Amino acid sequence: MSTATVPRTATQTKVVQARNVSKVFKRDAFEVKALDDVSIEIGAGEFLALMGPSGSGKTTLLNMIAAIDRPTSGELLVLGDNIFRFSDGQSARWRNEHIGYVFQTFNLIPVLTAFENVELPLLLTKLSAQQRRDHVMTALKLVGLEDRVNHLPKQLSGGQEQRVAIARAIVSDPTLLLADEPTGDLDSHSATEVLDILKRLNEDSHKTVVMVTHDPHAASYAHVTRHLEKGMLLPPA
Amino acid sequence: MTLTRFVSKNAFRNKRRTALTIVSIAFSLLLLTVMMTIWRAFYLTEGSAESAQRLITRNKVSLVFWLPSYYRGKIRAMPGVKQVVNESWFGGQYKDQKPENMFAQFGTDPQEFFDVYKDLSIPPDQLAAWQKDRAGCVVDAELAKKHSWKLGDRLFIKGVIFPFDLELTIRGIFTSNQPTESIYFNSAYIDEGFPQIKGRAGFFGVLADSPENVPKVAKEIDETFKNVERPTKTESEHAFQLGWIAMMGNVKAFILSICLAVVFAILLVSANTMAMSIRERTREVALLKTLGFTRGKVLVLFVGEAVALALAGGLIGALTASALIRAAANAPGLNFFLSGVRVTGLTMLVALLVAATVGLVSAFLPAYHASRQNIVEGLRHIG
Repeated sequence: MSTATVPRTATQTKVVQARNVSKVFKRDAFEVKALDDVSIEIGAGEFLALMGPSGSGKTTLLNMIAAIDRPTSGELLVLGDNIFRFSDGQSARWRNEHIGYVFQTFNLIPVLTAFENVELPLLLTKLSAQQRRDHVMTALKLVGLEDRVNHLPKQLSGGQEQRVAIARAIVSDPTLLLADEPTGDLDSHSATEVLDILKRLNEDSHKTVVMVTHDPHAASYAHVTRHLEKGMLLPPA
Repeated sequence: MTLTRFVSKNAFRNKRRTALTIVSIAFSLLLLTVMMTIWRAFYLTEGSAESAQRLITRNKVSLVFWLPSYYRGKIRAMPGVKQVVNESWFGGQYKDQKPENMFAQFGTDPQEFFDVYKDLSIPPDQLAAWQKDRAGCVVDAELAKKHSWKLGDRLFIKGVIFPFDLELTIRGIFTSNQPTESIYFNSAYIDEGFPQIKGRAGFFGVLADSPENVPKVAKEIDETFKNVERPTKTESEHAFQLGWIAMMGNVKAFILSICLAVVFAILLVSANTMAMSIRERTREVALLKTLGFTRGKVLVLFVGEAVALALAGGLIGALTASALIRAAANAPGLNFFLSGVRVTGLTMLVALLVAATVGLVSAFLPAYHASRQNIVEGLRHIG
């Protein structure tokens, strides 16, 4: 998959600026270099696909952009903030405000309904119950699940679960949407539905989307595709 | 949804385990509440104002040894003493040995008994009738109600310790703030029925002229009868009652050890449940932190869950204990010790506080570890 044209919605504002970012994991006596001197810039409104074999460092880079992991060296600015200077509490609040994260395995809370799962990030805001309700219903409508609000995750299909997870990721209207293999556990039909939603969120709601995937078909939805191999970011094709 | 609702949903996610945990805590708190209630009744509850003014003089060696009756006159003459009455435990058997037919019988002096025990009330005509009838007796109103006794009824008490029986006529029914489970008859009946022990008394009930004088009077009595064949031990009525309890053994140590064991057991149960529950949710903790939950929020969520469970168990346990104590206070055989005993609001509050503290302490460590868990490792967790 080659690099596609950056859409008109994308601006020159850089949402992510990574410079010489490295990450070394220490396991007992061994050291594993997960990221090796990675530099990348992601513009606002861009839809970027990160591809590469297992262990190439895709998820590690995604986790760093989300401020849930820290680099061993290098500098990473996200939305202009040097997020690694944040304390743990500041990182958490920053994530709640600016980041929407979609997991491969959905990670819905089994005892909460679709509505409650989507509402979860809003419990940390100062929104009233009615405002929260409006936000949740808007998010669920965007993913086409407004008629499944009272369903528990076990009562939903895999595709529907992932759509609920996307609704949860966008409910607080974050600037940056990060998706870690969002179609990895889905059949092709559900995967297409999910990818269509991500594309729509990028094009219609101008969300910057960074998606980790193995799947070339999924990557074809992105405007830009970058490849990682053995922790190194390969030059754009 | 609120965070409180989120906590309650999490608390009941595994219904069977939650129910079993609540039942375990409830049972433990039931025991704890019962023990605290007994402790309070035995050691903390002050008697009536009249009781605070009363002393009991008994044989220094043991309650089972008698005192000479003439001590009564000497005690009466002491400064600070208003009234003295002799009392002797008969220990007879009514009908049979079934618990519901067991109650205490005391021989005493009808002329002065109610002057010393002013917190017992009896109609004047009934008192006069008892004072006139040497084979008469007065009975506790609660006891009379239980056995459907009425004035004029005859009671046959078979002698167990003494080699003769009592044939008494109920001449009066007295009431008191706390049921006494006792009947009183003229001690002359014992003197005449068994002349060998004439001139002996089991113990003396002494009324001091003021509560402040009680220690002084006690000391004076015991000093007077220090170097005689049968020395005395005088103590407040409350201390005397505790002496009865002490005859069962070291009740304080017994209650304390049960309380400690109970608290330790619920701590283990709760800690085990919370540790399991939190470990199962490692991925969810990582998810919550990814969504923006801070360490403090995660800690509060888990600790709140444990406290909620412990409080639910505590409330059920304390309410069940209250119902059980009420039932036991009216049960044959137990009512002598537990009559008038109730689970107070304060005891219930203490039980709930213990439950909440146990919940908090048991969950704190696993919740603290969960709150500090690395998000990346948590998301990778397979459990």
